[in-house]
Amino acid sequence: MSAPHPIGGLPTEALPQLYLDGVSRAFDGFKAINNLSLVIDKGELRAVIGPNGAGKTTMMDIITGKTRPDTGQVLWEQSVDLTKLDEADTARLGIGRKFQKPTVFESHTVEDNLALALKADRSPWATLFHRTTAAETARIDELLGLIRLGNLRDWMAGSLSHGQKQWLEIGMLLAQDPQLLLIDEPAAGMTDAETMWTADLLKSIAGERSVIVVEHDMEFVRALDCKVTVLHQGSVLAEGRLETVSAMPEVIEVYLGR
Amino acid sequence: MRFLLRAALVLLALVGGTAAGAADFGALVAALPAGSYSDRAKVVDDLAQSGDPRALAVLNALAADDLKVMPDGTVVIVDDKGAAKAAVDGTDKGTPAADQLDRVKVNNAVRRAVRTAIGVLTLRDPDPAKRLAAAREALRAADPDQIDAVDSALAAETDPAVKALLAEARAAAVLKSDAPAADQLAAIKLLAARGDDAAIAALAPLAGAQNPEIAQAVKSALASIAETQRLWGLAQNVWFGLSLGSVLLLAAVGLAITFGVMGVINMAHGELVMLGAYSTFAVQQVIRLHAPGLFDWSLVIAAPVAFVVAGAVGVAIERGIVRHLYGRPLETLLATWGVSLILQQAVRTIFGPDNREVGNPGWMSGAFTLGQLQITWNRLWILIFALAVFAVLLAVLKRTPIGLQMRAVTQNRAMAANMGIRTGRVDALTFGLGAGIAGLAGVALSQIDNVSPNLGQGYIVDSFMVVVFGGAGNIWGTLAGAFSLGVANKFLEPFAGAVLGKILILVGIILFIQKRPRGLFAVKGRSVEA
Amino acid sequence: MLIDRRLGIFLAGLFVLVVVVPAGNLWLAGQPVPTYLVALIGKYLCYALLAVALDLVWGFCGILSLGHGAFFALGGYAMGMYLMREIGDRGVYANPTLPDFMVFIGWKQLPWYWWGFDHFWFAASMVLLVPGALAFVFGWFTFRSRVAGVYLSIITQAMTYALMLAFFRNEMGFGGNNGLTDFKDVLGYDLGGGGTKVGLMVLSAVALAAGLLLARAITVSRLGKVLVCLRDAESRTRFLGYRVEHYKLFIFTVSAMMAGVAGALYVPQVGIINPSEFSPANSIEIVIWVALGGRGTLVGAALGAILVALAKTLLTGWLPEVWLFALGAMFVLVTIGLPTGVLGALEGGLARTRRAPEPAEREA
Repeated sequence: MSAPHPIGGLPTEALPQLYLDGVSRAFDGFKAINNLSLVIDKGELRAVIGPNGAGKTTMMDIITGKTRPDTGQVLWEQSVDLTKLDEADTARLGIGRKFQKPTVFESHTVEDNLALALKADRSPWATLFHRTTAAETARIDELLGLIRLGNLRDWMAGSLSHGQKQWLEIGMLLAQDPQLLLIDEPAAGMTDAETMWTADLLKSIAGERSVIVVEHDMEFVRALDCKVTVLHQGSVLAEGRLETVSAMPEVIEVYLGR
Repeated sequence: MRFLLRAALVLLALVGGTAAGAADFGALVAALPAGSYSDRAKVVDDLAQSGDPRALAVLNALAADDLKVMPDGTVVIVDDKGAAKAAVDGTDKGTPAADQLDRVKVNNAVRRAVRTAIGVLTLRDPDPAKRLAAAREALRAADPDQIDAVDSALAAETDPAVKALLAEARAAAVLKSDAPAADQLAAIKLLAARGDDAAIAALAPLAGAQNPEIAQAVKSALASIAETQRLWGLAQNVWFGLSLGSVLLLAAVGLAITFGVMGVINMAHGELVMLGAYSTFAVQQVIRLHAPGLFDWSLVIAAPVAFVVAGAVGVAIERGIVRHLYGRPLETLLATWGVSLILQQAVRTIFGPDNREVGNPGWMSGAFTLGQLQITWNRLWILIFALAVFAVLLAVLKRTPIGLQMRAVTQNRAMAANMGIRTGRVDALTFGLGAGIAGLAGVALSQIDNVSPNLGQGYIVDSFMVVVFGGAGNIWGTLAGAFSLGVANKFLEPFAGAVLGKILILVGIILFIQKRPRGLFAVKGRSVEA
Repeated sequence: MLIDRRLGIFLAGLFVLVVVVPAGNLWLAGQPVPTYLVALIGKYLCYALLAVALDLVWGFCGILSLGHGAFFALGGYAMGMYLMREIGDRGVYANPTLPDFMVFIGWKQLPWYWWGFDHFWFAASMVLLVPGALAFVFGWFTFRSRVAGVYLSIITQAMTYALMLAFFRNEMGFGGNNGLTDFKDVLGYDLGGGGTKVGLMVLSAVALAAGLLLARAITVSRLGKVLVCLRDAESRTRFLGYRVEHYKLFIFTVSAMMAGVAGALYVPQVGIINPSEFSPANSIEIVIWVALGGRGTLVGAALGAILVALAKTLLTGWLPEVWLFALGAMFVLVTIGLPTGVLGALEGGLARTRRAPEPAEREA
C-alpha cells in the first residue's frame, strides 16, 4: 500500500504509531479479518467505516491484545509486537479503548471513575496503599471540565445519561494518557449538538495522540474531517478522504449504495 | 471263601478295567466294599469308565455314605427312611436294622475319586448345561485316568461348546499323563488358545518339565495366556468404565439441558434424580400390594411415572423460582440449592431417612460371560437405557418443533419472542424436560444404588464435572465427557484405589478447565465485547 | 472513612459482648452466662469471620467461591494438629509422639508433614500459609485462564469435594473419618476450663474485629475500588491496564487466610475437626450467610452468619426436621426477594424514609 500522508495539516513524524500487515483471523472458518494492512501515524486521526461484519470490532480486539491473529504482524512504534500482549499490557503501553456500548463503573462516582483511569502504577500493591495526590485531583478537575461533567463529580456513574456516560468514558480514556485511542461509535445515541461537540473534542485530542474512530454516522465522519479507511469483509477496500472514497464505485456498492 | 471270591472279583476288575465295561457292572459294585481304600478308589474309577447309567446312583450313594453291605454280601443303597435296595438292579431288600449293615467306608482319596467319577458320568448327561458343567469340572480336576472316558464322551458329543471344552479337558488330562511328547505339545497348544486361569492351572506344573521342548512350549504358552488375560482385563476395565460412564451420562444429560442449553445452574438436579428413584420405589410398592404378577414390568411402569413426577417438579421450580432469576446464574445456583434442601427434607419426612428397598426384576438380575468378560444384566440394561435416553433426547432437540423452539430461544430470546414463540412456555418445557430426564436417571440408579434422601447429593458434583468437561451447550460433549470420565476413573482405580482415583480425576478436570475453560467440545465464536 | 456508621455500631456491639460475656461467666454471682453459651458465642464469631472472608471475594470481587469451607477446614486442621501434639503422652496409647489414631493404624513414626506442629508459632503460621498457598495456586491457575462465573463456582466446589475425599482416607494421616479430636489443652491452658473458653471467645471477637477492619481497609482503598470495577465490568478494567487476575489472586488469597484463621479459632472451641467440614454443603451454607446479611457490606455478612447459626441452633434443638426446610426456604427467598440482604433492605428502608439524595458515599 502507498505510504500514508497526513491529512488536515497535522504534524507527523517518520515513525508510524501502529502498523498492521497481512493480519488474518478466522472464527470457525469465518474470516473476520482477512489479510488486513493498516498504518496509523503518530498524531493521526483516522476514521474507519464499513458495513456490519466488516471486521471493525475484531480489528480493535487484535490491536488491544484481546484476540490473537492467526497470521500477520501487529507492531507498536515499529518495535513492540502487540500479538504477544494482552489487554492490560496494551493499555499500559498506551492504547486506550472505548467500547461501542458505553462502559463505565456504575457503582463508582464519576470522580472515582476518572481517578481509577489516571495513569499510575497498576499493581495491586500500589493501589492498596495509594493516596490521592494534589496533582491527581488537579488532573481530574481538568478532565471533568473537558468532558463537561464538573457539576456531577459525586454522582454515581450508573445514574448518568447515555451521552454523559459516553463522555465519561472518553474522559477515562484521556485520563489514561494514551498514545493511541480506539473509539467505537462514540456518536451512538447522541443528539446532533452532542455529536458535533464530540467530533470537535476528538479533533482536539488528535495531534498529541493518535485516534482511530469507528463510526457509522456519515455526518460525524464528515465532521471529523480526516482520512477514512473503508473495511469490507475483513480487509481494506479503500482509503482516502471521505469525498474521494465515497465516490468510488466499489465503496458505493458495498456500503453507501445499499 | 468269601474273601477269595472278592479278591478274584477285584482282580478281575483291575485287569479287565475298561475292557470289561458295562458287562461287569455287577462285579464292580460287588467289589466296592473289598480291599483297601486305594483299591476302592480304583473300582470307583472303573465304574466311571464303564459308563453304565446305573453307576451314577451308586456313586452318589457312596459319596453320601448311603452305600451299605447286607450280611449276605449284597451291596445296597439305603434311602433316608432306612429302606434298602440292591445297588446292582434295584430289587427291594426291605428295611434291615442299622446294626446289620456294614458301611462302605470312604476316605478323602476315595471321595475325590467319586467326585471325578460322577463328573465323568455326568459328561453323558442328556442335559447340555449339565454336560458343560461336567466338562468344566473335568478340566479343573484333570485326571489321566479319565482320558478314555473323555474320549468316548467327545465322540458322542454334538454340542460344539461342550465339545470344545471336552477337548481342552482332554488336553489337560494328557498333560498329566505320560503321553508322548507330540501329544503333549498339541495339548499345550490347545490350552494356550483357551487362555484363562484354568489353562494356567493345567500348564503351570509342566513349566519345569524334563523335556526342554515341552518346557519351552509351556513357557511360551503361559506367556501368551498372560497376554490374553491382560487384554481381557483391559476389556473388563473398559466395560466397567462404560458402565460407570452410562451412570454418569444418565445423571448428567438432564443437566446438559438445563445448564448446557439454558445456562441455568440447577443444584436440585440430584434431588430430581432422587425423586425418580423414589417414584420407582412407590410404583413397586403398589405393584407388590396389588399386582405382584406385574413385578417384572415395574421398571417399565416406573419410567413414565418418574419422568412425569420429576418433570412436574422441574416445571414448578422453573415457574416459581428460576424464571425470576434469568441472567443471574449465581443467584439461580443458590436458589436451586435451597430447593434441593427442601426436596431432600420432604422425602425424608415422607419416606423416612433410611434406605428404601427397590427390587431388581428378573431380567435385571444375574450375569453372563462373554469370553472372559463378566457382564451383569443390570449394568448392561442401564448402559442400553442411557444410550436410548440420549438418542431420544437428541431426536427431540433436533427433530421436533418444540426442540426447534428450544434452540431458537437459547440462541436469541428476543428474536424468538418476536417470531411468536412463547418463550416462557418454552423455558418451562425445556427445564421440565431436563428434570424429567433426571427422573428417568433415578429409575436406573435405583437398581444399583441405595435409594435414600441423600441419593442425589452423591451425583451432583460428578454430573457437573461431566457437563463442564464435555463442554456446556453440546450434548454430544456430555456423552463423550461421561464415557471418557467413566473409563478414566476405572483405569485409575487399580493403580490409585477408588478414592484416590476419583480425587485424581477431579484434580485433572480442574486443571483441564484451565486449559479449555469451555470444555472439550466448546462452541467457538467471535469474541463478544465486555 | 475506614469506620463508617454500620461498622462502628457493629464494633461497639462486639466490644459490649467482650465485656459482658466474660463478666457474666467468670465474675458475676450465679453465673448468668453459662459456659456452654460462651463456647457457642465463640463459634458464631468464627462463622462471622468466615462470612466476612467470603464477602470479600463474593461481595466485592464477584467470585462466588463454593469452596471457602475448605480454607476454613485447612486452618482448622493446622490448629488441630498442634492440639494433637499438645496431648503428648496423655492419649489412650500413651505414645509420646504419635497421636492415638496413628498408633491405631500401626504407624511407627510421625510423617514429615506433621513435623513442627508441636510448636505453636509453627502451627499458627501454617494456619495462614496452608489455606493461603492453596488459594494462591488454585487461583493462579484459574484466574489466569479467565475461568469465571458459574464455572469458577463449580470448580471451587470440586476442589473442596476432592479435599473431603482425600481427608476421609486414613492413609492421609489426618485421622480419616474421625478427624482430630480429644484435645486436652492449648498453650498449657485446659480446654475444658471456663477461663480458656472465655479467652478463646474473646480472641474470636478480636479476630472478627481485626478481620472486619482489614476487609474494610482493603475495600475502601483504591484496590478495593478496582475490585468493584472488575466485578461490574471486568473487560473495561482490563482495558484500563489493570491486570485483573493479580487482583483476584490477591483478594482470594487474603480471604482464604482469613477463613483459615476462623477455622483455627473454631477448632479448639468445638473440640473436633473432621473431613465433613470440607463437604460442599457446608461451603454453600456460608454463601447464604453472606446473602442473607447483605452481600458487599462486610458487617452484613457477619450478622448473617450469626443469625443463621443462631437459627440453626434453635431450630435443630427444637424442631430438627424443620431446619432444612427453613434453610432451603431461606436460600430461595433471599435470592429472589432480598437481593441486597437484610442489611441492605434495612438501610434502604431507612434511606427512603429520610429521603436521602444520591446515595453516593465518598471515601478518601
